[in-house]
Amino acid sequence: MAEVVLENICKTYGNNFRAIDQLNLSVEDGEFLILVGPSGCGKSTALRMIAGLEDITSGSLRIGGTDVVDMPPKDRDIAMVFQSYALYPHMTVFENIAFSMRLAGKPKAERKKRVDEIAKTLQLTSLLDSKPANLSGGQRQRVAMGRAMVREPAAFLMDEPLSNLDAKLRVQMRAEITSLQKQLGVTTIYVTHDQTEAMTMGDRVAVLKGGVLQQVDTPKRLYESPVNAFVAGFIGSPSMSLFEATLTGDELMAGAFTIRLQDAAFVRRPGLRSYAGRKVVFGIRPEHLYDSSLQSGRKYQTIPARVTSIEELGSEHIVHLSIDAVRVDSGDPDAVQDFGLASNAVAKFEPVSTVRSGSEIRLALDDAKLHFFDPETHLAI
Amino acid sequence: MTRQKRSHHKLKRAVAPYLYLSPSLLIIGLLMLLPMVTVIAYSFQNSAVLRRDPSFAGLKHYQAIFDDPVFWASLWHTLYFTCMSVIFHMTIGMVFALMLNSDRINPTLRNILRVLYILPWLFTAVIIAVIWRLLLEPNGVVNSILMQIGIIGSKVEWFSSPETALHAVTFANIWAGYPLFMVSLLAGLQGIPKDFYEAADIDGAKAYQKLIFITIPQLMPIIISISLLDFIWTMQVFPLIWITTGGGPIYSTEVLSTYTYKLAFSSYNLSQASASAVVILLISLGLTLFYIRYQKAR
Repeated sequence: MAEVVLENICKTYGNNFRAIDQLNLSVEDGEFLILVGPSGCGKSTALRMIAGLEDITSGSLRIGGTDVVDMPPKDRDIAMVFQSYALYPHMTVFENIAFSMRLAGKPKAERKKRVDEIAKTLQLTSLLDSKPANLSGGQRQRVAMGRAMVREPAAFLMDEPLSNLDAKLRVQMRAEITSLQKQLGVTTIYVTHDQTEAMTMGDRVAVLKGGVLQQVDTPKRLYESPVNAFVAGFIGSPSMSLFEATLTGDELMAGAFTIRLQDAAFVRRPGLRSYAGRKVVFGIRPEHLYDSSLQSGRKYQTIPARVTSIEELGSEHIVHLSIDAVRVDSGDPDAVQDFGLASNAVAKFEPVSTVRSGSEIRLALDDAKLHFFDPETHLAI
Repeated sequence: MTRQKRSHHKLKRAVAPYLYLSPSLLIIGLLMLLPMVTVIAYSFQNSAVLRRDPSFAGLKHYQAIFDDPVFWASLWHTLYFTCMSVIFHMTIGMVFALMLNSDRINPTLRNILRVLYILPWLFTAVIIAVIWRLLLEPNGVVNSILMQIGIIGSKVEWFSSPETALHAVTFANIWAGYPLFMVSLLAGLQGIPKDFYEAADIDGAKAYQKLIFITIPQLMPIIISISLLDFIWTMQVFPLIWITTGGGPIYSTEVLSTYTYKLAFSSYNLSQASASAVVILLISLGLTLFYIRYQKAR
């Protein structure tokens, strides 16, 4: 067990492309930290630098108090689970798990004892003689975990280990990995682009964008208090809807509608007053928008909206809406998919809602749940 | 649909695939099967081809071949020539493929080496034979270099001395044939996921352990397929040996193909030549069946 500390880590490639810029991160002993961000944000590069598979251009990296910047991967006391699992197809499950012990010249009896223990934990005992090709996705994933566990490392590094699984299995494996991590208590750094994984698995989540760390916090705090519009848009599914508005007194004027703000909004954010008469970006999550015709929405103020499409998921309806306000891009490339071409806002309605695609509705919003950002810097107000 | 119509439709469906196959089957039948059957028939006849009504000879020609010490020498030379060629084709091909796949070599140099290494493949057997005859001449470049660096004291007649001739033709064949292995193995190497090596790096594998535990097992299907094909092809090599040594001196480079050719077109003993050809056919057939079984097993 060990803590992993990254200080001012930079990674610049030959063509002067800076993949990681001044990354400072401290992962405590036994902590489960998630590195999350859109494609190309540098999260995998950061993980590979910790593993020693990528050189560190500058900065310092300590694992268990030892500076490992110049150490080869094998001496860093880490184990890695790859996105592809990297299981050797010509070896059996036993041989795959025991590979590092074989390389280290451990006696056969010791290898067998250790692999049997791990196989028992991972419920792989009956599969030890199988080749990876004969295993299901979930079983392969577990073998990859076993291969990492056999070394009893100071830290686990996982590079999108669930991205090759189907949605149902992913949910199951998510829970398995989390409970296994708790059981073993090994410091774990887990890379993913799936923010549901990030929110459900980690003790803390580090959000990266363009090689720059945006925020490190608990999932709850990331959701409730994002430091900027990017984190606000990235965390939460579907994404937070962001719009431009002008703050006049205690009213937000956006396009054809006005939202009245309560005093509490200004008490919580003293800086908001200074935006009076100026443009401001406000954001609202889909779960804080309601169908005004239902009981849940009656207590909130309403704004006009047109329903562009509805996804009925059974437990809820994802409603894509068009409202008369200028949408602001959070900088998350995945958010575009949430909104589509005709809509600029997304809401989660209860399944009893009877709104239909194409209809004009009154959209209720919980103004206490609004988020505010500076229109220039996109930093939270 | 009436019963008659239905059975007509069924017949059409059954025959259609064979109709599509018929042109190739016809060509294979005429150009391969027919000559093969004819040669087998010749091997059981007295004075085949030379006489209009040859008599049945039974196994006489096979007996004659098996009693001929030159046949056994040829068989041994063929095996030596083939085994050495395949082993060295594989070894050299593997070393060069690993070099060309290595990140440690400068990319420009790698591209130049890629072209250089593949050159022997561009030449026909006749050109290769001529090149090596010139290089290995008593007054040729090879002797001159070897004498200068002190490996040999006097000029060696590589192709004319019974002690060195077989090694010399084998060497020329190795030089001509390794690019096939190199190209195939290089393609195989490029197909091995990088993750395998990275996972091994983290597990603490040294370079030779990565070669033994990852690279070679991953390339095994290619190594076996290409080795078997090379074995079949090399066993039948004729022009290279015919042009460099003609099977001599004193039968020291005689292989089954030159032995058979001489029986047929120097001694005009076409029946015995056919018997010898059938022996080559049987050996090749055995190897081919082995290859097909291996491919099926995969």
